[in-house]
Amino acid sequence: MALDRLSHTLSALADPTRRAILARLALGETSVTELAEPFDMSLPAVSKHLKVLEHAGLITRGREAQWRPCTLAAAPLKDVADWVTQYRRFWEERLDRLDDYLHALQVKKKDRKNGRRK
Amino acid sequence: MAGENKTGVHPGDKPFVITRVLDAPRDLVWRVYTEEKHLMQWWGPKGFKMLKCTMDLRPGGIFHYGMQAPDGSTMWGKWTIREIVKPERLSVVVAFSDEKGGITQHPFSPNWPRKTLAISDFTESGGKTTVTLAWYALNATEIERETFDAGHESMKMGFAGTFEQLTDYLKTTQ
Repeated sequence: MALDRLSHTLSALADPTRRAILARLALGETSVTELAEPFDMSLPAVSKHLKVLEHAGLITRGREAQWRPCTLAAAPLKDVADWVTQYRRFWEERLDRLDDYLHALQVKKKDRKNGRRK
Repeated sequence: MAGENKTGVHPGDKPFVITRVLDAPRDLVWRVYTEEKHLMQWWGPKGFKMLKCTMDLRPGGIFHYGMQAPDGSTMWGKWTIREIVKPERLSVVVAFSDEKGGITQHPFSPNWPRKTLAISDFTESGGKTTVTLAWYALNATEIERETFDAGHESMKMGFAGTFEQLTDYLKTTQ
């Protein structure tokens, strides 16, 4: 179900190391060793994070025996992006309308004042 | 900002923050932000029809609203007012609701905290008003806080936009 996937994706994203791994993979596929480099972390620790990401469908891993390149899978991220955008929009849209409404109110007031002066 | 009541916010939690400069004096912004007759005019997003809007502006008072989306679905919110410092701050506990005013789960994500705290601060300068909205998870479980945080982080890092570009890009390469 789509709902479960979103929750799944979010809990996988709720970790700064995993977000950093995804940011790296956004540049292109790479090996586990290369992924581990910028982190002060053992290979097994990085592998554990990769497993979480793979389980959430956020990355796929090649089947070649020697180096199993990690690739970013974007579909679940799209769900999150849509969801986050919706949230931000909640406030942004209201503030847009508030702005418009305040503008309309003040124009009306000014018109009334000018009307009286004439 | 000293003195704000953040009871129920986990220590160290950082809020979502949205800031906007409005071309109007603060007293007017305050009225438009807190009075029913004004809220009816602007509160719903474009294309939505306001079904109901009641505002009981006092600490512990309820702001209950309902609106109908262009597709016919309805959305209800029940907000409890926590703090009023007229015209500087309005602090509310935000919850999803139904027509009768019960508290419901987030319609899209069951792990989103049931209640969030939204603190609006208003400052005036040169006839313009800056509204700063800070938004926290409230009385949240660990998983709810992580969910809120993940959403927060993605917003902060502009992940939403980045990921959308990325998705488009990946579509062209697949």
